[in-house]
Amino acid sequence: MKHTLIHLDSSPYSSLAVKEGLDLALVLATFEQPVDLCLSGAALSLLSTQQQPDSMQGKNLHKLLDGLEFYDIDNLFVESDKIAPNGENVWPGVTPLDTEQWQTLFSQYQQVFRF
Amino acid sequence: MQYTLLITGSPYQSKACHSALRFLNAAMKAYPDSIKGVFFYQDAVLIGNTLAQPPRDEINLTQAWQAAAEQHKVPLYLCIAAAVRRGIVNKTESQRYELDQHSLADGFQLEGLGTLVDLMNSTHKIIQFR
Repeated sequence: MKHTLIHLDSSPYSSLAVKEGLDLALVLATFEQPVDLCLSGAALSLLSTQQQPDSMQGKNLHKLLDGLEFYDIDNLFVESDKIAPNGENVWPGVTPLDTEQWQTLFSQYQQVFRF
Repeated sequence: MQYTLLITGSPYQSKACHSALRFLNAAMKAYPDSIKGVFFYQDAVLIGNTLAQPPRDEINLTQAWQAAAEQHKVPLYLCIAAAVRRGIVNKTESQRYELDQHSLADGFQLEGLGTLVDLMNSTHKIIQFR
């Protein structure tokens, strides 16, 4: 069985990439394939607890994060210095990594997909 | 070594579909059984729109993919959810959504992401073109 990392680095509001990346993660998990997520760049805005997009602005993908544990997706990695130090307004389920851990993350998986 | 190709880049905004086709042709020429299937996701599913009419002096990429799939006997899958939301529907989906027309090009099949998971587990590597 292959261990998959889904790397989201697009804005949740500028394209469907984050939505379709998360969909792939959920399908992998449904098929009992081990999958982790990591976020960087514009995709970090997915973590903000203070967002209420209307339908014109986009789907509220932030709400999906609380459901990840029901799919046995337990790891959502971010680089620690890219989020607020006290975790204020950040979804509490993230696993912060230091720079070295972040850099080695990508070689720990059989496959990495970027969205 | 057997590969799956995952293509996510739009045929209009990127060269993902072009590069993947070149890779497919080169790989199959050198190793005839090296690619088991091609899965199109995100905007790459637009490749399966039979209604698109590129100018006559430009490459018709949909036809080029159809020819390559026929020649190499490689299945071309479009993610059904990604395709339907972008207006690529086959006869079955057209009936399901009570539409008057369908738009899926010959040689392409609508499949769920589960098909990608199957390919993932039955080939050595996936190569993403984005």
